[in-house]
Formats: sequence, structure tokens, C-alpha cells
Amino acid sequence: MTKVCRYGTHRVISPIGTLPQPAQKLDNTMRIYENEVLIDVTTLNIDSASYTQIKKACGSDVDKMKEMIISIVEERGKLQNPVTGSGGMLIGTVREIGPAFPKNKLKIGDKIATLVSLSLTPLKIYSIKKLLSSSDQVDVDAQAILFESGLYAILPKDIPEKLALAALDVAGAPAQVDRLVTEGDIVCIIGGGGKSGVLCCYQAMQNVGPSGKVIVVEYSKENAQRIVDMNLATDVIVADATNVMDVYTRVMEITGGRGCDVTVNNVNVPSTEMTSILVTKGQGCVYFFSMATSFTKAALGAEGVGKDINLIVGNGYAKGHANLTLNIIRESKPIRDLFEKIYI
Amino acid sequence: MKKGNKYGIHRVIEPKGVLPQPANKIDNNMDEIYDNEILIDVKTLNIDSASFTQIEAQAGGDKAKIAEIMMGIVAKQGKHRNPVTGSGGMLLGVVEKIGDALIGKTDLKVGDKIATLVSLSLTPLRIDKIKDIRPEIDQVDIDGKAILFESGIYAKIPSDMPENLALSALDVAGAPAQTAKLVKPGDTVLIIGAGGKSGMLCCYEAKKRAGVTGMVIGLCHSEKSTKRLQELGFCDYVFSADATQPVPILEKIEELTNGQMCDITINNVNITDTEMTSILCTKDTGIVYFFSMATSFTKAALGAEGVGSDVTMIVGNGYTKGHAEITLELLRESEKLRKIFTELYA
Repeated sequence: MTKVCRYGTHRVISPIGTLPQPAQKLDNTMRIYENEVLIDVTTLNIDSASYTQIKKACGSDVDKMKEMIISIVEERGKLQNPVTGSGGMLIGTVREIGPAFPKNKLKIGDKIATLVSLSLTPLKIYSIKKLLSSSDQVDVDAQAILFESGLYAILPKDIPEKLALAALDVAGAPAQVDRLVTEGDIVCIIGGGGKSGVLCCYQAMQNVGPSGKVIVVEYSKENAQRIVDMNLATDVIVADATNVMDVYTRVMEITGGRGCDVTVNNVNVPSTEMTSILVTKGQGCVYFFSMATSFTKAALGAEGVGKDINLIVGNGYAKGHANLTLNIIRESKPIRDLFEKIYI
Repeated sequence: MKKGNKYGIHRVIEPKGVLPQPANKIDNNMDEIYDNEILIDVKTLNIDSASFTQIEAQAGGDKAKIAEIMMGIVAKQGKHRNPVTGSGGMLLGVVEKIGDALIGKTDLKVGDKIATLVSLSLTPLRIDKIKDIRPEIDQVDIDGKAILFESGIYAKIPSDMPENLALSALDVAGAPAQTAKLVKPGDTVLIIGAGGKSGMLCCYEAKKRAGVTGMVIGLCHSEKSTKRLQELGFCDYVFSADATQPVPILEKIEELTNGQMCDITINNVNITDTEMTSILCTKDTGIVYFFSMATSFTKAALGAEGVGSDVTMIVGNGYTKGHAEITLELLRESEKLRKIFTELYA
């Protein structure tokens, strides 16, 4: 038997020596190694950047889109969009568990969502059952492999699958907020009106308590109003986050010139690093969840203004993140209603 | 005196509303200073190495051409920000004038010799004459003036060591100072790119903080730097490998740490695709500190999630309180460091 690796390098066909994510091609033979789990897949939740690219390339033609998805998987052994590099998540049922997979966590028949990207998950599609050009959730008859290091969440019975999937997609964000924010903190959430922003706001409001502040900076008036209506912040600023001085001045007014203890950046446009750095007080912390963050802009920016703050690279995984996020959906009726309206 | 903004926004000519670093042009008129600025009589520019290498290549190594390119950059932008690399560097000079609003607030006085620790990419600069170019250490002696903003950081040049030695260490002052803050007694620390300038300082500081119960592992690339680091004796273990290949390094670290992996990994290596190696060698409750400017944000973020690691990843901040003092003190403390820095960089 081949020596197995917890990160799945035993499935890498080319180039040898890389991990499954950067690999060109994975072995998608659906016979498990001793430390793997076999999943009968029902739905693929394709990453929105990838889905948009596929849709555009096929001129929204459903049959062509199906064909393109199947050909990507045939070529690479995984659904990693060759243009965007991104993947997505999946929902399925546990079919078989290898004897060396960590014990007592999963059982055959469990319905799970994988929380690792499809860009590193061995996948074989037998047929595409339902694909709508308006939804990035695709129903399939397929099988996939979960590695020993792979993350997953057992889907709860009290939350509809698709709602759970939408929330789990951004589970890392509120979980990190829970770790960083303590009672009495002043927190700034830039891009607070989107999906992960709303979850972050809720968690931040819980953690700061009555003596703290949660300040939301949001571009869209409509999203900002939603935050006000749902009472998810103490202060809401409608502004363009790339306009450094405007946001800085307004945050300083609210905080009496003190700045924020923790700033969470959720906004998916470039050049918001300086805004995040300037609104944070010395010894404070900026958490960058935005994939549009430039490493050098953040690093050189803080040095340029002489700010001794911690700049953290957003990690989509934090222990217990799936439970925490599903609990927010259970606790907050307004958030549940909102997500049901938008994502189902 | 006119009232200035803390971050120097009053000097930005275009585009309006941005900070001095991203600005295309800033005002470098030094005849009159704002009330919160410090005027510096500049002696030496220490050009960022990526920037100097680019200028040198463009000039085909010709010193007169290098001077011409540098004068051209400053004439156009009012600062020395390389239009290709975007980077700057630091300068050495003497305090000539202090703005009214800073009197009593700053510890500087006229005549103090200082190095600015903010980038030249945001520092208003005027070059009157280029006197000497030393390509081997990226330094250029000039007649000229510069402005330090209120938020600008600087270090006083100590009297007990040569200027160039101090300057070479201050250039990477952030790295050892952050190491000092992060590493605790008993920690296992991996330093990637351990044989370079900031790498050696980090190794020394890491071992000092981790103590006898801790372990410091240095990963170098070239055989020469591996040998040099071994001879310095700062690390418990030094080895040579290609940091872009995660699997062999992961196996080596597993072996060295009995499968425990590292509490802290410090990445100092200026090549791409070393994020996964840094993440996999670190405990999933540990910290990865990325000092490398070649780090890709998305590769780090998606990489950790992809392998289910709960590691904390920090963007290297070139500034932390007291970083200049901490770094200069290392050169005083360690005869070996001082000797090798003098040999290689001063």
C-alpha cells in the first residue's frame, strides 16, 4: 500500500512534490486509502468567482456549462477552475471511512458539508442532475474524497441544507471575531453589510457588551440601513473604504480620537489596507479577511505611518468555527430571515 | 509656520486625498517647513536593494547614469520612490530645523545625527548634488535635504559604532524586534531564510528568548550561508533546503521536533511560494510571521484553510516600538554579529 499523507499528497499526479491544492492533476480513483473518507456527493457549491467565470465563458448556456464543469474535473481530478484557481464546497453523505481516519468523528450515513476547498478535493462526477444559470449550487451524482486533514461539518437537522451551506461558507470570520474581541473593545468592521460582515457584526456586538462599540463602514446605503434595522452595530458609517481620510476622520469622531482596538476588513475591493491601519489604535489589531488584500501594501503601510499594530492574515479555519456560525443562525432570527431571503 | 497633518498629507500634490506613499507627486520645497516637520540635512541615502538593483541594471552599471536616473526620480516625484519596484530606502543625516509644534515633544535637537526609518518612498527629498555612489552596499552620498513627518520614525545614530554598521542593521530593525516580542522561553522556533541579514539577527534574538529549554532551527538556501550560520552557533540546528518544496522540509521538521512541529515560524526569505512550507511546519495553535515581501496574501489565507490549520498568520510590520534600540543592542551584545555585519555590510 502507498504511504499515505494526512494532507493527501499521495493523490498528487503532477507535479510531484506539491500539495493537492497547487497540483495540476489529482488521482480521483474512488477507492479510498486507509486515512480517507468516501463521500456520495449531492450538491456542489461552486465558488462565486469560479461560477461567474464558467457562466461567462459559456454565454450562460446550461449545457455548455455542464460540459465545462465535467471537462475540468476529467482533466484535473478536482473542480479547480483553471482561470480563477478557486473551488467551492460540497454537500454529501458519508459512504465509507478508512480505518486510519481519526476515530469517532464521523459515521457512515452522516450528511456533511466539506469545509475545505474543492480546489484540492478529489472528485468524480457521474452526471449533473440540475444546473440553473442563476444559482451556484449544482446538484450532481458524484463522489469525492476527504483527506485526513480535511475539514467538514455535520449538517444540522434544524437548519435547511442550503442555508447551512451559505453560512458555513464564511464560518471563519465570526469565529475569529469571537477570539479577538473582548468586553469594552471598540471594533470597526469595514464592509460590514455583506454575508460575512453581518455575522462578524453579530459576534462583535455579543463580545463587546454594553461598554464597547461596533462601528460599521459600508459602501451600500441599503446594506448600511439593514445593519441599523437589525441593530447589529452601535454606529454605521456609509463611505467608500478606499477613501482613507474620510473614513479616518469619521471613525476618530466616533471614538473621540482614540481609534479602534480591533478592525476587521471584509471588503472585497483593493486598496483598503491604509484605511484599516489608520483607524486602528497603536497596539491594536487588524484582521484582513478580504482576499483583495495586498501583503506589501499592508506591511509597508503600517511602517510608513509608524504604527505598532498586529496585522493578521485571515484564516478561513478556526477550531469550532462551524458550530459557532450555525449557532448564530439559530440565535438570531433576523439574520436567519435575511440569509433565507438572499441565499436560498 | 503653517500647520501640518501628522501623516504629511499637506505635502501631497497629486492625486489628492491619498497619503504620501501612494502619491505620485509630493511637495519637496524645503525653504519653509510646516510646524510639525523636521528638516534634515542629508548625508547618505541607503537605497532599498530591490530599487538599487533595478536602477543599476537600467544604467548598465554606469555611475553617471545611475546619478541621472536618481535625480530624475526625485525631480518628478519629490521623493525617491522607484517607479518600477515601488520601493524606497532610508537616509542618514543631521537635524537642521525642528517645527514649532514639536518643540518639547520630540527628543531630537538640532545637530543630532539620525537615520530615518520610514521609507524614502514617502519622504520629501531634494537632491542638490550626488557626491559618491557605492554600488556594493546600495549607498549614495549626497548634498540634499529631506523632511520627516510627525508620524515618521527615526533612530539616533549611536556614537559607539560606525555609521554604516548601524545603518545596515537599522534597515531590518523590525524583524529581530518582532522576534523579541513573539518568542517565549521553551519555544521551538523555525527561521526560514536564516542565513541572510535579517535572518541572522532573528536567529540570535530567537535563541536568546527561547533559552536552553527552547530550540531554534535555521533553514538556509545556499551552502555558503548554511555554513556561515552553523559557525555563528546561534541555532540548535541548521540545514539547507529549497523553501518552496514543503514536503521534504515538513518531514525534516517532524523528525527534529518529534512530530511536535514549531510554535513560531519566521519567514525572511525573499522568494515566492514559501507560504505552505511556513504553515505546515508550524503547530496548528502556533504563529507564522511573514517578513518576506514576496508573501502572497491569498496563498497564505487559502493555504492554511486548505490543510485545516488553525495557525495565526501575521503580516510583518517593519515597525514596532523600540525596534531600533533592540536591534542596535544586538550588535553591542554579540561580538560575532558585529564582526559578520562589519564584514558583509559595512
